[in-house]
Amino acid sequence: MSAETPTVKNEIEADVYGSFFVKEEARDATTQDDATGREWTWEEDGMTVIRTNARTGPGCHQNCGLLVYVKDGVIDHIEGDPENPHNQGRLCLRCLAAKEMIYHPDRILHPMKRARENRGKDAWEQISWDEAYDIIYEQITRIAKEYGAESIFVHQGTGRDINGYGPMLAQMLGTPNYGMGFLSGQACYAPRLFSTSLKVGDMFVCDYSQFFPERYDDPRFEVPEYIMVWGNNPVVANSDGTLGHWIVECMKRGSKIICMDPKLTWLAGKAEYWFQVRPGTDCALALALSNIIIQEDLQDHEFIDLWTYGFDEFAESIKGYTAERVAEICGVDAEKITECARALGRARSACLQWGVAMDHTPEGFITGMAVFDLLAVTGNFEKPGSMVCGRPCFGVGSTWMSDFSAIEALPAPEWAAPGSRRMNEEYNGCRSMAAISQDMELEALETGKPYPVKCLWLETNNPIANMGAAPQRILPAIQGTEFNVVVDLFMTPTAMAAADVFLPACTFAERAGITGHQPYQLGAVAQCIEPLGECKSDQQIIYEVGRRFHGADKVPWTRDEDFYDFCLQSSPFTYEQIKERTWAYPEFEYYKYKTGKLRPDGQPGFNTDTGRYNFYSIAMQNMGYNPLSSFEEPPESPVSSPELAREYPLVLTTGARRWSLFHSEHRQAPSMRAIHPGPQVMINPVDAERYGIEDGDWVLIENPFGSCRERAEVSPRIKQGVVSADHGWWFPERKGHAEDDGTEAGLFGVMECNINKLMPMRPGKTGLGNSYKSQLCRISKWEG
Amino acid sequence: MYGLLIDYKWCTGCHTCEIACQQEHGYQPKKLLEKGKVGISPYEIGPHDLGGGRFQYEFLPVPTELCDLCAARTAEGKQPTCVKHCQAGCMHYGPVEELAKKMDSRKMALFV
Repeated sequence: MSAETPTVKNEIEADVYGSFFVKEEARDATTQDDATGREWTWEEDGMTVIRTNARTGPGCHQNCGLLVYVKDGVIDHIEGDPENPHNQGRLCLRCLAAKEMIYHPDRILHPMKRARENRGKDAWEQISWDEAYDIIYEQITRIAKEYGAESIFVHQGTGRDINGYGPMLAQMLGTPNYGMGFLSGQACYAPRLFSTSLKVGDMFVCDYSQFFPERYDDPRFEVPEYIMVWGNNPVVANSDGTLGHWIVECMKRGSKIICMDPKLTWLAGKAEYWFQVRPGTDCALALALSNIIIQEDLQDHEFIDLWTYGFDEFAESIKGYTAERVAEICGVDAEKITECARALGRARSACLQWGVAMDHTPEGFITGMAVFDLLAVTGNFEKPGSMVCGRPCFGVGSTWMSDFSAIEALPAPEWAAPGSRRMNEEYNGCRSMAAISQDMELEALETGKPYPVKCLWLETNNPIANMGAAPQRILPAIQGTEFNVVVDLFMTPTAMAAADVFLPACTFAERAGITGHQPYQLGAVAQCIEPLGECKSDQQIIYEVGRRFHGADKVPWTRDEDFYDFCLQSSPFTYEQIKERTWAYPEFEYYKYKTGKLRPDGQPGFNTDTGRYNFYSIAMQNMGYNPLSSFEEPPESPVSSPELAREYPLVLTTGARRWSLFHSEHRQAPSMRAIHPGPQVMINPVDAERYGIEDGDWVLIENPFGSCRERAEVSPRIKQGVVSADHGWWFPERKGHAEDDGTEAGLFGVMECNINKLMPMRPGKTGLGNSYKSQLCRISKWEG
Repeated sequence: MYGLLIDYKWCTGCHTCEIACQQEHGYQPKKLLEKGKVGISPYEIGPHDLGGGRFQYEFLPVPTELCDLCAARTAEGKQPTCVKHCQAGCMHYGPVEELAKKMDSRKMALFV
């Protein structure tokens, strides 16, 4: 341990703490898997079979291995690839029926333009790509010169794989303002990834054997004794590179489940300990579990003594989180908390399967930290079946995170705005991770302060239907800009409302690509069919726009394959090579903090400021926040706002994942809509009776921020006093209501069943986290 | 005689069997808000309150009259598509006698 304890600074240095993405040079790296004899394409039954990975469009956070059967240039059917270790031949319903999305007659197949005064009207005109790029060049250049390049915001959603590529476009347009489009508080993965990176210096994921090509049979692997499924329904959600059914395979091999969820999910039903927590209180439960483990001296003394910083202060600070007190906060059984703490303290191994619920309470930034503290108390880092460090494979970051060295190799215009103009100055959390504040952005759209927002580039982003809080504010705000571009597969409500230029994107089957979001396997997306119409990949659109601004000498790529060679430059592979082997596994070892494999200086320890796991975070202190994890009630809750709760007595949680839908996508696909036909709100039978609601009734859901209606699903699965409402609903079949007519019926009914109308565009103190899963509401039968 | 063995304690109710079957046999709905035909689909068991904060909440995929055990696929030596794609890996295809020998725990069902 060579790192000296850093001193406390009086002012934060913006952009200095964002360390959760560590890129490694790996040109000479070897692989675990032997690709000898692995074919990427062959003929079978008169069809061409193409082995590929499904990432992405339509939306998903997986990269499942596929065999795509193509006949006469058209996909006949899609199967899971039994040889791909990721999904081992299995495949979910959305990919099995992906043809319904790929070949859907509603796909937009040509670039289009519309006069600004016709925003909201179905007054589109087909144009060439050249004309589209000319319009974009003229408008963006004009706006940058007139208002500054910081008035341009480049946004993404989460449906296609542009996490790492979108920032390249922002660089080439000269703007520091890149991020998820109107996701209040960046409330998806980024808050907890960033906050826990301050603790442990890297991104860590649960070990389900996914780092080994031989999977569960690899002799180095042991299943986790306990899997803590926390604010996540992984078998449905498949979040962030974790295929949920790996957990089922671990359960078959002996893993036990601890589940924190206000809803009885399948995993909750199988859990040894299920805590039906009140939404927004998870942090208190994490601190209680740590406290009990420490009080009963069940902590991992060796790990704490050798590898952590600030344990004593932490242990002292959480003494008040007793089982009894926290049971009352969370609405769970005190004895069960104590029993669970003992089981965790004595377990050989445990890991965390966390979900976006952690980010969906305003102080959720801290929840992730508190749960990581529990993992550190029990020493569950880097041993088999615990949390293991996950860095981009072979140093290839562009596929799923901002790869700064790749981005900085790209040209920026002479009028580029510096990072200091990034829209985030009110929030030290956003400043420290070099992220924008979308909450500030919406205010800026409305007020022009701190500076005006004049241009939006929305790529795989449908904020008024899906991730934007307060869509009733976002709609007029985005309609008030000077110039907007939407890049998507379909005419979304957002595109119809506000785009001036629409650029049609490819699905995964129509393009080349690289997998992402999975720090264990690098793979290729192989093109299976020609692009439909004039569609282009998101990546091609990004580098072609860049070339229009900077010329072919600075942005040379004309083929996606060459562009991917650029993205793969830290790896041993060219695009053709990774396509031919379809997947590659880097070498893997456990206990990397003991062998100096985590730190750039090669010393043992974690890649943090102290070299240790930080129970006490000096970075947090420097940012002006509590250096230790502590629980804070959501701003709206039965405890923090009892008067409000008298009028709005139910806790509202939103956004639970559905088998056949990915956020606001798949509403066009007949097979997927047959599985889940419309928006539902789950209500406990006791609450349903109290408010006169029967199963299948349309229900009005209201709070001071807004209201919407969904259909009641009365079920004892949901905690009494809590309702769980669907998100992302619009109705693409209502073609007669495509236009914005100023009513809720317009824009494909996007405002009718839009639960985000009940969400404020208001983050937590750090600027990160929002109340998507921790609001208040009341319900009544909707009489129409 | 061949059949399907379903180790339904692991079935998560993911609808993969249902959609795989529809795609294989052309049973999928052709228009929005129609329902297609199904050769198999998961049925919900519960939630039944078992007391002490525990519930049974499980699923059992049940083949319908339309299930032909993917005759076209099995003739080529492939698994039925529901068995191949089952995300929980809880479905097995084979001669009934062999499947019956695998029935060594509760919550297994054999469909013939």
